[in-house]
Amino acid sequence: MAMKYLDKYPKDTAKGLWVVKPMWTVMKLFAKVIPRRSMTIMYPYEKEWIPDNYRGRPGLQFDKCVGCGLCARMCPTACICLVETTDDEGKKVKRPQVNLGRCMMCGYCAEYCPVDAMTVTPEIELAEYTREDLIYGPRRLRFEGVNEMMEVHIEEHLISNVQKGILDQPTSAFEVDRPVLEEAKCIGCQKCFKVCPVGAIEMYEAGVNEKGKPKKIPRIDTDKCICCKNCVDDCPKSCLHIKEVL
Amino acid sequence: MMPEPEIKLDSMNTDRMTVIMGPQHPFSHGLWTLKVEVDGEIVTDAEPIIGYLHRGWEKECENRTYPKIIPMADRLCYSASMTWSHIYCMTVEKALDVDIPDKAKYLRIVADEICRIQSHLMWLAAVGTDLGNLTVFLWAMREREFFLDLNVRLCGARMTTNYPRIGGVRNDTTEYFDRDCMRCVERFEKRLWDIIALVDDSSVFVSRMQGISRLTREQVANLGVTGPAMRGCGVDFDIRRDDPYDGYDEMDFEVPVLKEGDTYARYMVRIEEMFQSCEIIRQAMKKIQDMPRSAPYRLKVPSAVPEGTHFARLEDPRGESLMYLISDGTDKPYRLKVRSPIFVNVSAAKPMVQGCRIADVPAVMAMVDMCLGETDR
Repeated sequence: MAMKYLDKYPKDTAKGLWVVKPMWTVMKLFAKVIPRRSMTIMYPYEKEWIPDNYRGRPGLQFDKCVGCGLCARMCPTACICLVETTDDEGKKVKRPQVNLGRCMMCGYCAEYCPVDAMTVTPEIELAEYTREDLIYGPRRLRFEGVNEMMEVHIEEHLISNVQKGILDQPTSAFEVDRPVLEEAKCIGCQKCFKVCPVGAIEMYEAGVNEKGKPKKIPRIDTDKCICCKNCVDDCPKSCLHIKEVL
Repeated sequence: MMPEPEIKLDSMNTDRMTVIMGPQHPFSHGLWTLKVEVDGEIVTDAEPIIGYLHRGWEKECENRTYPKIIPMADRLCYSASMTWSHIYCMTVEKALDVDIPDKAKYLRIVADEICRIQSHLMWLAAVGTDLGNLTVFLWAMREREFFLDLNVRLCGARMTTNYPRIGGVRNDTTEYFDRDCMRCVERFEKRLWDIIALVDDSSVFVSRMQGISRLTREQVANLGVTGPAMRGCGVDFDIRRDDPYDGYDEMDFEVPVLKEGDTYARYMVRIEEMFQSCEIIRQAMKKIQDMPRSAPYRLKVPSAVPEGTHFARLEDPRGESLMYLISDGTDKPYRLKVRSPIFVNVSAAKPMVQGCRIADVPAVMAMVDMCLGETDR
């Protein structure tokens, strides 16, 4: 029953000289500690340095965002919701709005953003006077000086690649996973076409349905697709599903 | 030191009195109650009352997808957040039958051991205040700050790390992390001796711990106590060594065991564990540095988990933690059960404090290292 480190410490020192010993120890430590520099800072005037990868409040790069809403669906506390706003050209777009009163700063919105528009920011001083002020709209979410580290990237390796020995091709679900269509189930409602944020879905004429009317079914442009799963979630007949590449 | 006078429970015929310590009491670190029955100054009976912090954690997991549970698992215990999200990821990886890359294993080990050290320092700070030694509290919290800074460098948050992912870890080491890590560990090993000197050289604090609340090996085994409290009673068992997970079999470290079984032994085991954790960090960092920068650290895993039941366990700073998962083939767990080490350890409160003086109760229960987030979940 040996202790590798603590056995080095003299045993039962407390027994001998039982008043003098602790006083001696304290004086010794006092002399040792007093020349060291102070560990505290005068907070509001001095601030601690925060690294770039610090997970403070979420930030948004407004122009990069496509409004797919993956951040809203991925958020564990459901503090993100999509709101309608206008972009610089006056076009109506959907952008995330964050309720910081509920945000737990997990960084999932930045990590799971397919276009790296959501970021983590080192901003931590978030106190407000009212709860309404804690709701950050898309414009207010912007953060000056976003760098590579704040847009958290997913660098996953495919299991099949690792087994083959290919170790230099990091990828992510947004690059390889694509929705596939079960044509027999599709009713041609065009919901997926309307909901796709990047316009990766186009409808084309494919025969007639059982009533004899012409039917349009979606074709997915795999290069444009960012795998946001909006089409899969909105399909009323659940004929779209994500084919996962492993 | 003065010899401990023998305490006979039946000899004093004073009135029994029930003292309720908690839930708002300086000794209860967290929200729990210890109902103590005293005969004069001697404790004759004790009953822990928990459940003030029940949040329905397990039920809440049932309507969340698998990745969303990782930040929730962090919040089971604020000072051992890394090990809790690690055990969750390990369980799901077992269910998926995924073998994670070596680099992810070592990164997890580094993060786990940083978490263990900062958790033990948090405990040491709490013990300091319980024993009335405020300097220990301040110094332990000061040293802990450096490990929290390491956490920030590694994963961007001080305590709720959210670092492991199903199939690996969130990110690779950031720039200068290995340098900072080595320097921090080296510095900590020197500074810890100062804290030890503050407690061990002073008979005031040692006599409040030595010879108090003795538990035998058999008692510990029957009560299901795990972790440092168990190793302080002479049971030589550590999951990191005896049932190695995620690369711990490649690490060379010793498991501190003391056979005294008193409060002081539990204190010593935890202090020694911090030194051993420093060694493990150094070995794991060496292995990470030997690997190429582009080595994989995260695998792409399917979002749905096949049907089945799985469990994984690991050595938490407080004991043996276990998660038991029943999956039904969807992307949400059917049931997730948490075995919290403190829930079991605190049930040993009665044999621990029985026969002690009431003034010793804070010192004895401090060695359990209470954390109510995981106990009540």
